Amino acid sequence: MTKHPLKMTKVALENLFQKPATVPYPAVRKPVYAATRGRIAIEEAKCILCLICDKKCPTGAIKVDRPGKTWAIDRLLCIQCGYCVEVCPKKCLGMENLYSPPVSAKAMDVVNVPFTPPPPKPKPPPASATPAATPAPEAGKE
Amino acid sequence: MANRTVIPFGPQHPVLPEPIHLDLVIEDEHVVEAIPSFGFIHRGLEKLAEKRDFTEFTFVAERICGICSYIHGMGYCQAIESVMGLEIPERAKWLRTMWAELSRMHSHMMWLGLLGDAFGFENLFMAFWRVREGLLDIIEETSGGRVIFGAAKVGGIRRDVPDDLLARIPAQLAKIEAEMRPITDVFRDDFSVRQRLCGVGVLSQKDAYDLGAVGPVLRGSGVAVDTRLEGYAAYDRVQVEPIVESDGDCWARAMVRIREVYQSFEILKQVLPNVPAGPVDMKVTGAPNGEFFARLEQPRGEVIYYVKGSGKKQLDRFRVRTPTFANIPPLLKMLQGCQLADVPVIVLTIDPCISCAER
Amino acid sequence: MKLFQKSPWIIHYDGASCNGCDIEVLACLTPRYDVERFGIINTGNPKHADILLITGYINEQSQPVVRTIYEQMPEPKVVVAIGICATSGGIFRECYNTKGGVDSTIPVDVYVPGCAARPESIIDGVVQALAILERKKKEMAARP
Repeated sequence: MTKHPLKMTKVALENLFQKPATVPYPAVRKPVYAATRGRIAIEEAKCILCLICDKKCPTGAIKVDRPGKTWAIDRLLCIQCGYCVEVCPKKCLGMENLYSPPVSAKAMDVVNVPFTPPPPKPKPPPASATPAATPAPEAGKE
Repeated sequence: MANRTVIPFGPQHPVLPEPIHLDLVIEDEHVVEAIPSFGFIHRGLEKLAEKRDFTEFTFVAERICGICSYIHGMGYCQAIESVMGLEIPERAKWLRTMWAELSRMHSHMMWLGLLGDAFGFENLFMAFWRVREGLLDIIEETSGGRVIFGAAKVGGIRRDVPDDLLARIPAQLAKIEAEMRPITDVFRDDFSVRQRLCGVGVLSQKDAYDLGAVGPVLRGSGVAVDTRLEGYAAYDRVQVEPIVESDGDCWARAMVRIREVYQSFEILKQVLPNVPAGPVDMKVTGAPNGEFFARLEQPRGEVIYYVKGSGKKQLDRFRVRTPTFANIPPLLKMLQGCQLADVPVIVLTIDPCISCAER
Repeated sequence: MKLFQKSPWIIHYDGASCNGCDIEVLACLTPRYDVERFGIINTGNPKHADILLITGYINEQSQPVVRTIYEQMPEPKVVVAIGICATSGGIFRECYNTKGGVDSTIPVDVYVPGCAARPESIIDGVVQALAILERKKKEMAARP
């Protein structure tokens, strides 16, 4: 039935005398590629606490605290999709090649952001009067 | 009259790679009937489409299954693009084809290894997985992830592949192909492999068609159906022939997959030099309004995506019919009358992806 | 590696994952990463195992299975949750059928992040688990 009865033996012998395919991992690390998605990093100096990454994150891993001036990420919730990197308006988020290490306790990775948000614009007192005034002409148009 | 016994098989079992539960009704070591039960991996992600923005849902769609992840993401995007009437850039179409074929190859090579493991040929298992790592390197270098590509996007692809990298891939693939040949020859010629696979779990052509088998299970039984002929992405411009084997046994299904790996090498030889220059994505505005079915060929067979939107950011309904789900009735047919010792091998030959099937 | 005093055996259960982390766990056993050089063997039998690797989150139906496997394992034992789904539920956290990460059912000793977790990460996680295993063994011996 078999034409080449010793085919696997040949493959096995070839493997025996080849350089091992194994990367002896903890001692030697395979180089990572430029494209490798590892972990999210932030350049805190550029961050303006705009909350877009917080809102867009598919798993809700990023938490931005505007009054407390912190940017935090839960490494155990981040799926490394890189969506926050795409939507960041200041391009202060980046994808590092190295992955985050295993941990034995859950904790948020908190970064303090030096940016001071401008004080919220005080609403001019007549603002309440204008909306009341606007519906009237609209109603008139209809 | 022999004694009838019911043997529960799974969800955690030394020979099972994935949690599926089968109640095997046994009569003298022969399986009379197999009763499956599901739900160990049910996530209910179709319902999640109602909560998420349709562009963000791509990330969920990619995680329906970690093995054919890219084709899931691509199928979802394709369905949304058809609803919205988007014509994506040419470069994106060709790169999608490239990734789809890479993902088919890595899935088939993984499966060939697992099958070797299932019938006790551990050397084959290791050999296939060693060669497969070379493919994963190409995938990681181009897309950034080893198994979850993360490259699908509504309106194109999420990252461009530099041209010098594309020029390097054919040489890497040629090396992998040369490493593949001797191992697949073992699969084809080895006495013990044929002993375990030939004539086991036979599914006739009529049964395969009537029970709605898809993919290699259907083609292994002699029905020439391949959804790639529909011509989605850039498949309308590459040569694709459905690969058919007529025996319908486990060996035929393995042969279909081996030949498909080589077919993918050929397709990539046509794709890689022809990737045109240009943009890779387009701006997507508005929201899907309407419904569409997208059909694609996954490593495991035909997958169907149904999306329905009503002009909102969230979809009204998302539905995916995965190939493993369609292959369960043929599996139950194959198991009837087989020996108990052959059950793991037969279950494996449909390439069960339970996380796909249960979503 | 001096860490590896004994040859710990692992058992792998797919809680409810997308298979991405599963095939990476298997990739650890195959030639490129080959954890067998540390004496680690993947066993299918919970009574042989020291380390339980769980991928994927927990749902109603897999909860009793995971609990049974955990209870069947002999002391000392370590649980490693692999991938974002197992650590916290990940992207499927809001699905109706999700009960959350593995720690919602059994105590978890090491969390390995990554979607999908890379083989290097998994090896790192198992190395951490071994240190915990050693500690638990000493604690067990100290107990009267």
